[in-house]
Formats: sequence, C-alpha cells, structure tokens
Amino acid sequence: MAVADDRSPLARLPAGGARGGPWRGSWLGALALLLTLGLLVAAGVQIRQFALLTQAVRGGDDYVVLTIYQAEAEHLRLSEQWSRALSAGEPIDRATLQLRYDVWVSRVGLLTEGGTRRLIDSRPGWIQTVQQMEAFVARADRWLGEPAGARLDLAALRDLQPGLLALGPPIHGLSLAAAHDVSEQFAERNRVVRRHNQIGIALTILLAGMTLAFAAIVFGQMRQLHARRQTLEDLAASLYDARREAEIASQAKSAFLANMSHEIRTPFHGLLGMLSLLRETSLAPRQLDYLRTATESADHLLAILNDILDISQLESGRMVLAPVPIDLREMLRTVDALMRPQATAKSLALHVDAEPQVPEWLVADPTRVKQVLFNLLSNAIKFSDRGAVVLDVRVREHGEGRRALGFIVTDTGIGMDEATLARLFRRFSQGDETRSRRFGGAGLGLEISRNLARLMGGDISVRSEPGHGSSFSFQMPIHELPVPPVPAGGAAPTAGPLPTRLRVLVAEDHPVNRQYMAALLGTLAHDAWFASDGHEAVQAVRDRRFDVVLMDMHMPQLDGLGATRAIRALPDPAAATVPIVALTADAFPETRERCLLTGMNDFLTKPVSPEQLATALRRLFGPPGSAAAAAPQSAAAPPLHDGLIDPVALQRTLTAVPRAQLAAMVHSYLQQGVETVQHLRAAVRDGRPLDLRVHAHATRGAALNLGLPALAATAEALHEGAAHLPAHEIARLVQRFEQQLGATGVAAHEHGLSIDVEAAATSEGR
Amino acid sequence: MVLRLTCALAAVGAGPVAALDRPGGPVVLSIMGRVRSTNAAKAANAANAADFDMPMLERLPQTSFSTRTPWYAQARKFTGPLLRDVLTSAGAQGTMLRARALNDYWVDLPMDDAQRFDPVIARLLDDKPMAVRDKGPLFLIYPFDARTELRSATYFSRSAWQLRTIEVR
Repeated sequence: MAVADDRSPLARLPAGGARGGPWRGSWLGALALLLTLGLLVAAGVQIRQFALLTQAVRGGDDYVVLTIYQAEAEHLRLSEQWSRALSAGEPIDRATLQLRYDVWVSRVGLLTEGGTRRLIDSRPGWIQTVQQMEAFVARADRWLGEPAGARLDLAALRDLQPGLLALGPPIHGLSLAAAHDVSEQFAERNRVVRRHNQIGIALTILLAGMTLAFAAIVFGQMRQLHARRQTLEDLAASLYDARREAEIASQAKSAFLANMSHEIRTPFHGLLGMLSLLRETSLAPRQLDYLRTATESADHLLAILNDILDISQLESGRMVLAPVPIDLREMLRTVDALMRPQATAKSLALHVDAEPQVPEWLVADPTRVKQVLFNLLSNAIKFSDRGAVVLDVRVREHGEGRRALGFIVTDTGIGMDEATLARLFRRFSQGDETRSRRFGGAGLGLEISRNLARLMGGDISVRSEPGHGSSFSFQMPIHELPVPPVPAGGAAPTAGPLPTRLRVLVAEDHPVNRQYMAALLGTLAHDAWFASDGHEAVQAVRDRRFDVVLMDMHMPQLDGLGATRAIRALPDPAAATVPIVALTADAFPETRERCLLTGMNDFLTKPVSPEQLATALRRLFGPPGSAAAAAPQSAAAPPLHDGLIDPVALQRTLTAVPRAQLAAMVHSYLQQGVETVQHLRAAVRDGRPLDLRVHAHATRGAALNLGLPALAATAEALHEGAAHLPAHEIARLVQRFEQQLGATGVAAHEHGLSIDVEAAATSEGR
Repeated sequence: MVLRLTCALAAVGAGPVAALDRPGGPVVLSIMGRVRSTNAAKAANAANAADFDMPMLERLPQTSFSTRTPWYAQARKFTGPLLRDVLTSAGAQGTMLRARALNDYWVDLPMDDAQRFDPVIARLLDDKPMAVRDKGPLFLIYPFDARTELRSATYFSRSAWQLRTIEVR
C-alpha cells in the first residue's frame, strides 16, 4: 500500500494549516479591537448628544425668552394701569395696581433667579437692564412694597412714572437680544447635533464594514475548519478501510498458504514416494545420478515448503511449541552428525562444544531448537569457504537466578557489512542480491529462526564484519529439569520390519498416493487393500477384518474424520475397534488434535517415508517378536471370566435377601445391561464422554451391590477412561462389558441364581 | 420624593365635600366650568363656580415634596392640597383643565394628570406663604423629581404659578 501517493488523503491536507491559523487569528483580534473602539466612540457621541439635550431642557433657554417676553408684557400692562390711575376723574384702583405691580415684580424676580440668572450674568448688556429694573423696584417698593412704607398718592405715582416708562426700551431690547441669542444657541445646537449625526453615520458605516469583514473572516475560518475536519474524517475513514483491507488480505494470504501447502504436498507426497521407490529398482549408474539430482531438488523444494508452512503458522499465531524433557548433549550429537557431511563436503572443520555448566536435561521443543541450529549452521557452512564453523553452547546468568542458554555459531566466512546486517532478518532477504544469486535459497530461514527463538522466549543476535566471519547467537531461557526423566517403559521401537504380515486398508482418494502406498506397504511386506473415499472405507471394514486402517483426511463424499466416526460406531466389536492412522498433508497441531479426539490412534504427515510408516505400525503392534502384541484385543487384559461373581458377597447378600428375589434382581440387571451397552455405544459414536461416564458409573454401582466384581471393574475402567482413552480402547472396553454380561448370566446359573420367567414375573408383580 | 401629610386641622373638611362651604375670606382659587358643588357668593362671579379661600385649601389634606425646577437654582419644598382633592371637593367632571394665572397666562392640561402624577396646588414654599411677586399665592406644581418623564418642557409649562382659576371642560 503506497503511503506517499499524491492522491492519498494526507496529500490533500491544507499545507498552510499551521501558518494560516495564527495569521488569521491576529487579524480577527485587531478587527475585534477596532470594532470595540468604534462602538465606544459611537457610545461617546451619543452620551454627548444626550447631555446636550438634557442641558437644553434643564437650562430652558427658550424659557428665558418667554420669561423676558412676559416681563415686557407685564411692564406694558403695569404702565397702562399706572397711566389710568394718573388720569383725572378716577379714584386710584389700588388693588389692581398693586396686583399688576406684584406680577411684574415677580417676572423681574424670575430674571434674577435660577437658570435665567446664569444666562443673564453671562451678558453685560443684560445685567445693566436688570439692574435698572431692580433699582426702580427698590424705589417703588417704598409705596408698593410689603409692607408699604408710604401712602400711595398721585404725587408718588407721578414721581415714579418716568422711571417706569424709561424701562420700556431696555426691556424691549432685552427681549429682542434674548430672542436672537436663543435662536443662535438653537442654531449652534443644531449644528452640533448635525455634526454628531454625521459622525454617527460615518461610525455606523465603518462599524458595518468592520462587522462584515469580521464576519467574512470568521466565515472563512469556519469553512477552513470544516474542510480540515472533513479531510481528517476522510483520512480516518480511508485509513480504517485500508487497515481492514490489509487485515482481510492477510487472512486471505494465511488461508491461501494453508491451502497451497495442502495442494502442493499431496502430489508431492506421491512424487517423493515414487522417487524413493525408484531407487529400490535396478538402475543404470546414469539413471541413479539423475535420480539423486531429482531427489535433491525435491528435498530442497520440501524444505522451502516447510519454511512457508512455518511462516504461515508463525504469522497466524498457530505455531505451538511442544516442550518435552530433552537430553541436550544427545541433541547436540544429533546436530553434529547431521551437519558434519555438509561441512566435510566444503572442507570445513565443524566443532560442537558445550560448557560443563550446561545442564544435562532441560525442557524445550527439540524439533524447533534443532530447526534453529540447523538453519544457523547451514548458513555458516554455506557462506564459509575455508576455516571452521563452531557451535558453542554456554550458560548466561541473567540475574535474579534466571539463566539463559546461548548457542553461538561462529564462522570464518565472508562476513557482512552494516547494511547487510540491517536487512538480515527480513523476509526474502539474503544478505545482498549477489549473495542471493550465488548461494540460492528462499531467504526465509533466518526470519523463521528468529521468530522461533522469540516464541521460545529468547532471541537471535548477530555480530559480523566483512571478511572476518559472522557470529550468530541464539539465546533461550533455561527450563531446567533437576532429575533426568525415567525412560519410557516401552523401549523405542527398533528398526526392522514387523514379523507379522498385516492386513492394511488404505483409504486414499488420490491415485498416485494409492500407488505409492501400495508400493510402500509392499516394501514393508504387508497386504494392502484400497478404498477411494470414506464410504468405501467403512464398507470395507464391515466386510473384512483388517489389522489397521491408514485414513486420508481429505476425501470426497465422506472425509477421514467422518469415516472414523462411522467405523467406531459399527456394531461388530472387532470392526469398531480397528486401529486407525490418519494420513494428512496438514501439518497443523490442531488437525492432529482433531484426529485423535475423533478416535484415531495415530497421525502421519505426508509425505510418508517408509521409516515413518514402519515406526507407526510398530507403535501400534508392539515390540517385534511379541505375538500377543500383534493381537490388539488381548493386550494386558485380565482373563475375561475371572471373578464374575463374588461368592463372599453373594452369601452376605443372601442373608438379607431371599435367593429367588436376588436371582430376579441379577436377571433384571443383566437385561438392563444390554440397553446400557447400546447407550455406551451411542455415546462412543457421538463423542459424548460425559454420557459415557454417567452410564458407566450407574451400572458400576449396581454391579457392586449385586456382587458382580468383573462387570463393576469394566464399568469403572470405562468411567475412568471416558475422557482420555482413544475411541478404539473404549470400544474394546464396551465389547468386554458385553461379553461379561453373557458370561455373568452363565455364572449366575452355576451359582444357583437361575430363574424361570414366571418366578421373575411373580417377584416383580409382588 | 413625595411626602404626603394629613393635616389634623383639616379633619373637618376631609373627604368629599357634599356642599362646599362659602368662602369667608378673599377668594384665592375659583374652579369653573363643569363643577357641581358651586358656592359662588358674589354676583360678579359666574354662577357655576367653586370658590376657595386660603383656609378652605388649608383644610384639605396637605402634601409636601421637594423638587428641582427650572425657576429656582436649588430644590425647593412645596406644600399644599393635591389637585385631584381640590377638584373632587369642587365636584369637577371633565377631561381637560385650563389653568389660568393672575397675568392671564393659561395652559391646558388633561384632567388625567391629577390622578397620574399627583400635582399639588402649593400654597407654601419652603413652609412659607408665597407673595404674588414670589409666584404666589398658589402654584400648580408637578413632583418633577419623582418621575423622569415629568422633567420635560411639557410638564414645566403645565405648572402654572400665580394660579387663579381652573376651568373644567
């Protein structure tokens, strides 16, 4: 999957993201500041306007004009009333004159009070007029004041009149001046208001513009954010898809590898077999040479195939180690023996050495440890042209009592530079291209070895210099065995054919493999029959006695597992218990597990060599020369009819139970036993060990109560072995139980527990 | 700030006046037009007028407040009966009032104002009777400081001083 593709979502990410953000941010900040300032100025203008209006209302400038006007009007009315009082023939209307005078004085007083006073004080011409009026009032108050000092008479009126009349023109002037003044103020205020309005309009336009700009930038920012988010989401989605595709592809690859291994190994099985058979025939030296070359190529191909299988198992995590106690030095001897021919062929010295501290026994998977060592040693031999290859085994302390075993393989070969070392453990890499061409190989070995080492809890490391050889170090933790294990009771099967001629049924769908198996069995001097699918195999077992069935796992119609189940469920005990050995190209441990669980007795991986087959047959049919071992049924079984009825227990029971009743009970038990056998067979057939245990347990209890120890023992063996015994062993035990049922009936008769049908009916009816 | 005082002296005249007393002293205020409780004594006056002398106004419930005005530099205290009490005692019924001053200044105001804004017919300024030259003897005044909406030329002009008559329309 290309990552740096131009069309990949990564390439579509806006490049300026990191640079554009702060730039826009500062613009936004500046705009926001300007907006705030503009709004503050607008608010300031409005506050000023408000103050102006408030001042106008409070000051009441226009009100001053009205006041002065009224003062003038009242002055005229007073002057008229005054003249009327002075005109001959009329008495002085003192009250009216007094009222007019008071009203006028009140107007004059207004001019000197409050806001009006402030206005008048600011204009020198006006003050003079007001002072003039105040002077007159002061003079007139001698007659008209409160309280009046002198009596108002015509003489006083006449005396005061000129002063009163003289006030006329200045008051009028004051009135006009005030009117002009106020209109000027009005104009001024209008001007200010207009200017404020203009500022306000300008500000509003500016603010509107800035708001627009602000909105535009915010909008742009949001769109960019949205675009970025969208891109990121797309990226996440495509990454998710890519991951899923990769996972699916990986699973498909694993499945493909597993399938291919099977597909390749099946014909390969035939090919290798045929080659080995060909070697047995009389061949010309030249033909033998061709055959050797063909066999070498096939061996190489098989090695590569095994590597691929290992890789697929390691990758899918299906690789399972099988640690067992191993004798380390014995294993090293094997390794030495196997590698020495290669070393000798290249005139190299091979030293395999272990420190004294290296433990004798430890727990490890010998196959995998050997695989790693073979790989490292054959690499060392491959890349060395002279000198020696050394395998040193050392113990390394890891602190806290933990110890590790180090296998150090040193060669005097061509060595590697840094670049080569870096590529070393990668798949299909073999140092470098030129070396790859020179030395051949799939290049999987080191990767497998390192993965195996890691699976064991260790690792592989390497030190090398060009021209100075290499040193590979394989470390693994030590799982030490303090005491050497007791050797298995049965000695390992020794070489050589079985003396018995076995009747072997081969169930195999592939014609080449059938031919190969026929030849193989012919070589081992056994008789072979063939079935080409599961149904034929089951039919053959039914029709004929065989000593062993070699069962291919993958067959049309009914596969090996199905056929095995069918055979194990056959009613004929001899047929149901025939040993079955699986033949499969699957090298996976779970396949082996399934075979054994289904009731098969052993497991052979194709291609099957004559040695493997002989070993497997020896495992089944015991040590050579033992005729008894060849007969499966009689293996270490106690005599069938021993202790069928326990006389002591019988006597004890008879003291409590009448003989006739006991006879009826035994009879009834034996009758039920036939059903029990059916149940047991069904449980074996369907692979239900729990049912098997339940039935076996129930029948055992009853047998003990009735004093039938042989039946009880067989039931107990079934009960105990239900979960772990192979199916054919269980089938054999069921068969034994069935035989013992019949024998017990006879023995019961002999012990005087015979019963006629009526007596049984009576005893049951009671 | 409105301070309402119920004058103990005015207990006799408190409440709606069924039949208005005849003024004993000089008439200071005449309610004319659509009034029911008339008490005009002199033929010179129009027949349907409710006349008040100063003691009659004193006997009505008194209200005091201080307020700033365009006419005085500082806030001044005004005391007198509420306009609506005076109108009630005159049995006035109408929608508009025309307040007329000694100098024949007049101004129209809605009768509703009497209910909404509690204007007072002040007869005391800073607890002292007002002379004519001090905008007396009666001053129709609104409590300008009590409500901001009153601080406008409209209500300043409705405040008639040297008040003499009120015509109910």
